Parts: sequence; C-alpha cells; structure tokens
Amino acid sequence: MMRPFVEAIRTFRWEPFRSVDLVERLGYASGYARNFLSQATRQGLLIVESKRGKKEKTFRANPSVVREIVLRGGKEKTELLEALGLHSKFLGQYVALRGFSVVDHDADLYRLAERIFPDTEAQDEVVITNVGKPKKMITIEV
Amino acid sequence: MKIGKCWNFNDDEQPPYPTIKVTLSSADREATISPKVDTGFNGWLAVGVEAVRKLRLTPRGTVLVRAATGHGEVPVYAVKISQADLALSHTTLAIGTERSLVGRKLLENRTWLLDCKRRRFCITTSTSATND
Repeated sequence: MMRPFVEAIRTFRWEPFRSVDLVERLGYASGYARNFLSQATRQGLLIVESKRGKKEKTFRANPSVVREIVLRGGKEKTELLEALGLHSKFLGQYVALRGFSVVDHDADLYRLAERIFPDTEAQDEVVITNVGKPKKMITIEV
Repeated sequence: MKIGKCWNFNDDEQPPYPTIKVTLSSADREATISPKVDTGFNGWLAVGVEAVRKLRLTPRGTVLVRAATGHGEVPVYAVKISQADLALSHTTLAIGTERSLVGRKLLENRTWLLDCKRRRFCITTSTSATND
C-alpha cells in the first residue's frame, strides 16, 4: 500500500489526480489503480477531493499522513521525504513540516527547534525530522 | 577557584556517575529528575521512558542519532528544562532514549569540577584566567 502511495506523491505531490492518471502516468493496470485508490482512501492516506459524476472521482494525498509517517520513522519516512523532493533541497538538514509544506529548515536541530517550538505548547501539528544523514548529527555515548 | 552548587554522583552503577538535578515541564506536567551527565552527548537533554510517561510527552518528530551501538532513529519531544542554580530556563527538543541524560549544551560556557574523590559534580563560580 505504501509503495503506490509514495509513487503517487512523487508524481502528483499534493495535486488532485484520477484513477486514469495512475494508469497513464504510472502504468498501473486499471484494476490495480482502482483497488489502490479504494484501500488508500479507506486507510486515510488519500482524500476524495471531488466528484464529477460517479465515474470521475479525484483524489489527493492526505497531508496529515506526513506527520504519522514521520513519527513512525524508518524506511517509509525516508521514501516519503525523497518523494516530496526534500532530498534534493535539504539533504543533511533538519526540516519542520506542516503537512506537505516545509515551514522551516536548518542544519542545526536546536536552532530550528528554538524557532518552531518557543514553548512546549507551540505548533502541535508541525513535525521535525532529518533529511538523509544530518551534517550536524546528535551523538550520544550511552 | 570557588565551588558553587554540587550534585552527588549516582552510585546505582559502578563506577558512580555525575548527575545534575533539573526540572522538566511539558504543557501540563512537571517532574524533577537527576539525569546522568553524558559528556559524549552533544545535545541538551535526553528523556528516558519514565520521564516521557510522567510528563505525558508526545513526539514532535523523529531524528537520526549516532550512539555507541550505531545509528538509530529516536523520537523528539518539546520540553522546558529549568535549573535555578544555573539560571537556566529553556524550551528545547529532547531526544527520547532509554534513560535520561544531560549533554554538553547544558555544560558549555561554564566551568565544572568533577570531584571523583568526594563523588560530586559542581559548578565553579570563579577561576583564574589561565589556559593551562
């Protein structure tokens, strides 16, 4: 489920797309595309954007998924950040994300945190993460 | 050299290790803990699972860190750290680890005494200006 979702983000970012776009742009079989859209919508990965008649639903990636994937970490996070194009712009840095938007970035985690979280209640919906291997990595001995 | 506030070593492992008593606050909770001083930690604060539970912290992201055992991803939490003797009151990101630690960011720009004989870790309030 995550692989076609990440592919959809890589191709359409947060723009709306249709089942036929998955077939034409990603080469998916129409049955596979429909199945993915159905499952991904049920799981909250996609939002049904609008209906132009029963046969032409449009979909959009759900921005709240970014937070969930970042908090889960691991390979899915890496693939998502790469699909969002962040590796080409912010490799080695820390980014603060609100949905798909980079609200701030810095090579220093603590400098970024001071701007994003001036107090413990600030910006609940924003998440901070590294893009690739940080140039200024946090090191602990124990 | 004048010695200011001191904190006793914790001897729950051998050899005993230095600690500093700090107060941590989340949006609605507060806890006073004595984390291990880890001079190999280049950050402010690491919060252990017990502190996370006490303060009801929710993760604000995940970051890659380098530990003795290799690289790993850890959650980060927004925490206010206060220490009256250091005139410190600062909201920062704490990394989530097994046990709580304070790192070099908290120690920098101050002179410290690691008194292993008396098993205490102290702030020094004045030193002679030498580079020896």
